[in-house]
Amino acid sequence: MLLEIKNLRARKDNKEILKGINLGIKERETQALLGPNASGKSTLAQVILGNPKYKISQGKILFRGKDITKLFPEKRVKSGIVLAWQNPPAIKGVKLSQLLEEISVFKGSISTFFRFQKIGFQLINREVNVDLSGGERKMSELLQVLALKPKLVIFDEIDSGLDLRKIKEVAELIKKELLAKNISVLLITHSGEILKFLRPQITNVIVDGKIICKEKNYKKVLKTIKKYGYEKCKKCQRANR
Amino acid sequence: MAMKNVKNVREQTDKKLSALANYYQIDNKAPKICQLKGIEILPSKIAWQKYNWTKKYFSKKPKHGYFIWVKEQPKSVLFTCISLAKKNIRQTLQNLLVVENNLKIELQGTCNTLKRNLEGFHKAIGKIVLKEGAVLKYEHIHSWGEKDVVQPDYEFLLEKKARLDYNYKVFSSPEKLKMKTLLTLLESSSANLNIMGKFSQTKTEIKDTLILKEKGASGIIKLRLVGNKKSQISAYSQIRAKSESKGHLDCQGLLIDESSKISLIPELLCESKKAQITHEASIGKISEEALNYLRMRGLNEKEAINLIVNGFLEK
Repeated sequence: MLLEIKNLRARKDNKEILKGINLGIKERETQALLGPNASGKSTLAQVILGNPKYKISQGKILFRGKDITKLFPEKRVKSGIVLAWQNPPAIKGVKLSQLLEEISVFKGSISTFFRFQKIGFQLINREVNVDLSGGERKMSELLQVLALKPKLVIFDEIDSGLDLRKIKEVAELIKKELLAKNISVLLITHSGEILKFLRPQITNVIVDGKIICKEKNYKKVLKTIKKYGYEKCKKCQRANR
Repeated sequence: MAMKNVKNVREQTDKKLSALANYYQIDNKAPKICQLKGIEILPSKIAWQKYNWTKKYFSKKPKHGYFIWVKEQPKSVLFTCISLAKKNIRQTLQNLLVVENNLKIELQGTCNTLKRNLEGFHKAIGKIVLKEGAVLKYEHIHSWGEKDVVQPDYEFLLEKKARLDYNYKVFSSPEKLKMKTLLTLLESSSANLNIMGKFSQTKTEIKDTLILKEKGASGIIKLRLVGNKKSQISAYSQIRAKSESKGHLDCQGLLIDESSKISLIPELLCESKKAQITHEASIGKISEEALNYLRMRGLNEKEAINLIVNGFLEK
């Protein structure tokens, strides 16, 4: 197992958000995590990456068999987990090219590498997350992810705020740069739009801080949620059966 | 990471600058001067004797410092470098730079210490005169030791249609910095004054004044001050509009730790109903979210702070 989360409970400001998460992602696997607003999707991503804002009260996170529950965020990134943020903060005065040079594992060649990427070329001279459109923000995140040469990428709402054409464009890039290179992916999504392009092997549903469904057929999950909402998932509780 | 090499790069740059310098002075020793065609470079005390007209610019008879008179258009950048090298050295300079009508020059001035623990004193009283239509781009770099005391006091006079870009950067702060800058702008002249620095364990007092004296003058003062490790920084900035003119004051401070203090006092004085002068001022701390974001890009806390600070100073 590449990533293994065991009975994870986490809180922020004394409010428990994750209430016993169990999740396993294998190498070369694509999984999805669906859930309603405030169900704990983004919190789970932040906790996996070690954001000190969240306190883990119970449970473990293992990556490639190593316990990373107490590691600093930068150590987790270096071990191979990378998160593409939903709403990344602005880093004023710092150009994306500068940040890429700082973080990239492809030393010395990063600018050249990104100059060949049609979309990245337009972005690298802009300030990091300053006055970017929704699509540009997602692309900036993707470029940073690629610069870190990850083993597992968590995409937090990579499809939110994008039209269908843009979602397809992003999905094609993920396929080409990550999935084709056997990199594992966890797609966190509210709408599920991107799933039809990337076809996850397992789709999880999180409600109120717990994963209540694990299903191989993503279409079935999407259809159920579209037709009946997450209430149906709560009643079904496939993961707990 | 690239930032780890900044100190080495700076040291190498200092060495290169001293080798390139047109005026290079260590402590109070006789300066090394390298003349450029069309420019006269002298020690100030010689200029005082040679040119009677310099007496209206020097407040008293100078002992040390440079006199640079740009009479023809130079083909290259002008470099000055003034260094402290001896323990407890006291350096008091009077500098005068005069740029004649319609000439454009670039000046890179470095003032620094060659060792970090000298407990030296550096005071520079500078007068810069830009004659009609003259253009000056001045990069002024300061790099000091933790126990040095530094007092730059610069006065710029911009005659009709002259232009100034003055960037003052503190790479390494002294124990005490007391800085005064006065810009007087005559008809249709313009100036950008940028003061930026990261201050650690220092007491810094900055006073900058922009006088928009005649019609059509315009100027911007931009301050970017970063406080770290028990620093106390106070900056008093003033724009005074005496005629139909435009000015803007942009002061921003960034606190890295709880032990530092920054005080920004912007002041606008308007003596003409046709003048437009504005200001903005803010002091903030490092965003926790930005810090965590960069850590999730693989930078450790120190590297992430450095990147945020460098971005703030460049902004």
